[in-house]
Amino acid sequence: MSTSVSEHIYELEPHVKVARARAGVLLFIFSDALSVLAILAAGGYLSALNTEGAFMGKGDHPPAFLPTLGVAILLVLSGICYYLWERRERQSADSAPRVVYILAWALMLVTLAGQLWISITTKFATIDAYASVIIMLNWYSVFHYALAAIIGLLLLGRVLQGRRAGHDYVVEAIGYWWYYTVIASLLMWIFGMLL
Amino acid sequence: MTTQATEVRRRTDLFHTLCPSVVSGIVLGAAAAVVFGFIAHLLAGEDNPDAPVAAAYTAWVIFFFIGIGAFNGIFKWGFGRREPTHEEEMALAGKDQGLWRYFRFTTDHKVVGMQYLATVLVMFFIGSMGAFMIRLEQSRPGAIFFNPQTYNTIVGMHGIIMIVTTIVMVSGPFGNFILPIMIGARDMAFPRLNALSYWLLFTVIPMFISTLLFAGFPTGWTGYAPLSVQELTPGMDAYCFTIIVFGLSVTVAAINIVTTVITMRTKGMTWGRLPVMVWGVLLSVILGLTAFPSFIIAQTLVLMDRIFQTSFFIAAYGGNNWLYEHLFWFMGHPEVYVIAIPALAVAAEVATVFTRKPVYGYKLLIGGLIGIAVLSVLVWGHHLYLSGSENALDGPFMLDTELISIPTGVFFLALIGTLWRGRIWVTVPMLFVCAVLVNFVIGGVTGIYLADLPTDELLHGGMFVTAHFHFTLVGAGVFAFFSGFYYWFPKMVGKRLNTGLGQLHFWLFEIGFVGTFLSLFYAGLQGEPRWSANIAPPFATANLIASLFAILIAASVFVAVYNVIITLARGEKAETNEWGARTLEWTIPTPVPLENFGEELPVVTSLPYNYEPEPVAAAESPSAPASGSAGTPLQPQSGD
Repeated sequence: MSTSVSEHIYELEPHVKVARARAGVLLFIFSDALSVLAILAAGGYLSALNTEGAFMGKGDHPPAFLPTLGVAILLVLSGICYYLWERRERQSADSAPRVVYILAWALMLVTLAGQLWISITTKFATIDAYASVIIMLNWYSVFHYALAAIIGLLLLGRVLQGRRAGHDYVVEAIGYWWYYTVIASLLMWIFGMLL
Repeated sequence: MTTQATEVRRRTDLFHTLCPSVVSGIVLGAAAAVVFGFIAHLLAGEDNPDAPVAAAYTAWVIFFFIGIGAFNGIFKWGFGRREPTHEEEMALAGKDQGLWRYFRFTTDHKVVGMQYLATVLVMFFIGSMGAFMIRLEQSRPGAIFFNPQTYNTIVGMHGIIMIVTTIVMVSGPFGNFILPIMIGARDMAFPRLNALSYWLLFTVIPMFISTLLFAGFPTGWTGYAPLSVQELTPGMDAYCFTIIVFGLSVTVAAINIVTTVITMRTKGMTWGRLPVMVWGVLLSVILGLTAFPSFIIAQTLVLMDRIFQTSFFIAAYGGNNWLYEHLFWFMGHPEVYVIAIPALAVAAEVATVFTRKPVYGYKLLIGGLIGIAVLSVLVWGHHLYLSGSENALDGPFMLDTELISIPTGVFFLALIGTLWRGRIWVTVPMLFVCAVLVNFVIGGVTGIYLADLPTDELLHGGMFVTAHFHFTLVGAGVFAFFSGFYYWFPKMVGKRLNTGLGQLHFWLFEIGFVGTFLSLFYAGLQGEPRWSANIAPPFATANLIASLFAILIAASVFVAVYNVIITLARGEKAETNEWGARTLEWTIPTPVPLENFGEELPVVTSLPYNYEPEPVAAAESPSAPASGSAGTPLQPQSGD
């Protein structure tokens, strides 16, 4: 067990740091997208099988349209804010208005709160397969928003303290996750409505 | 006063040593598991025994990581307050922590590689003993040692332990220790994620062992729903959590390894010059990254059915067991190749060193591995031939499955071509490579009968299947792992394993393995079913022979353990380039420095397999290695 330790820490070259951040986030998105796909496929499969005609009970209903639409709009707005901020940030580091990023993050928080409220208050008379799929979609969306909010919080520190110089790739990589969250969650919402 | 000050300092040092470390992680994790389990019990009441177990396991994982200091970096350096200092980076990498760095959240890829290696060996030992208990029970008809419930739990635990171990056995130890050096990198792309992937695996072990406290999981390693949902023992929750956390560990490791290979290769290390082992690990983890999400989701759905009374798998409410089978086997079949691909790549890597020849048809071989990886995600449906589900896709799945023989055949052609007319240096690693050739061909050929629907109808659910997948996973995977183990051990540990004991390990293992599973092939052809604690009299002879051969396998395990222990205690010091190999890991000193290379990273100009026509090895009569060594050490040669 004799790996020795000597006195060096070599800095990675900047282009390696950028490539590393991009690759890491994209691979994470790839993995998560497959899990979203697995859930959607599960819902579609159960719906198509309709085992014993019991997939969707008589009292079952799709999630309330207006509240879920509201959450979707908030989510899209959050994505747009992040995009606008990121574009300014790329043009000139540290000069993009902080408030736009803070707005993006706050919108993500509100989206999270809204989705939590929907997930908790959505009730079914019987938790049949349809209800199970909707519950899963709701809570998986909560997971995505929570993760985006936590990652956004870490970035918020850098934004507020003005320590973004040399870390443009962090903004870009977080952007990938942010946009992916918007797209994946919208897909899950539409799927839940159409199921 | 001085004595008091010394005592205070000693206590402070002890505190700083233990916190953070695996000790503080275990203490905090266990305490949190008890507290949160109790709170969940109070909230959920007596009717939901799964909720406290789920709360306890979740708390165990989160608080273990708090205890071991995984989040310290986030608190110190998160929120953009400041960057880590040089000293902090050094501390994370394990500077001045001696052996204790192996018990901390250490980021050095070599430490993580050694942690994986030790874990893999321990789990192999435990899994092997489970296998031996199975063979003991099946040595003659009638319940001998265990009741059926205990027997089922032992079979399930043996299955999961071995599957988990074989999935990480190459990409864990060698993928972390050797791979970054092989591509000329100073470390993995994400050192903290690297430590995270290992310690996630570590948290799985107590979780999985705890199934014994909760009456086991009688579903076996596949955990099929709806039995897993109806099965009331909380041991099933432990199974689900084990899979989910292990899946996260594999995912994190895969992201790290793929990113490392994509972004951290040294100058000149083009895709066409990557060592075969790197290709193997890369393809394996990409496959894992693709396959594991469905497995994680499958276990999450089972947990939801158990804890929140959803109905994904309850037919009366529109759920269906086939959903589980699809999600499970979408991971389950590629997982075979997650295990086999890096193992075969290790075999090819070792073969080229000990034949002193370039890999025959390098691009063909890599193409074969890529072909196996791509096709393997399209074949899961053959596990559902007899499930009763819609059979319209049986034909395509049958065709897909058989197509895998083509890239596999191409790989074997390349491997045999590498050996052909080579000056073969018969070392312990090379012996294991030869065994891989024999075993995997048997495993592959017998697989064709299971891929074909007509023959699968006869053989499905029988001992034939058990023997087939053991020839594939153990015969190729585990034997290739041991090939790599004997090959890279001198570089990883700095000591030379005993050759005589290595040869004894090999021969006991190979003879025992082939004898055991050929007997079970025969039993399977006679119609013996799997999943039966008590064997029926018609199959008694074949099972007795299998059990007698299994004694040899058990003996081989103890020989290997003894070899490792005496080598660690008083083994000979290894040479820098123990085998005269040409890949980059053999060009740097042993023990390997913290960041692997000196001021300048190496520049690669060609494939690392350009051996001279008359290698030094041949001149030194390598077929007769010095007693007590793993082979005659060669003069160090510079890499490319």
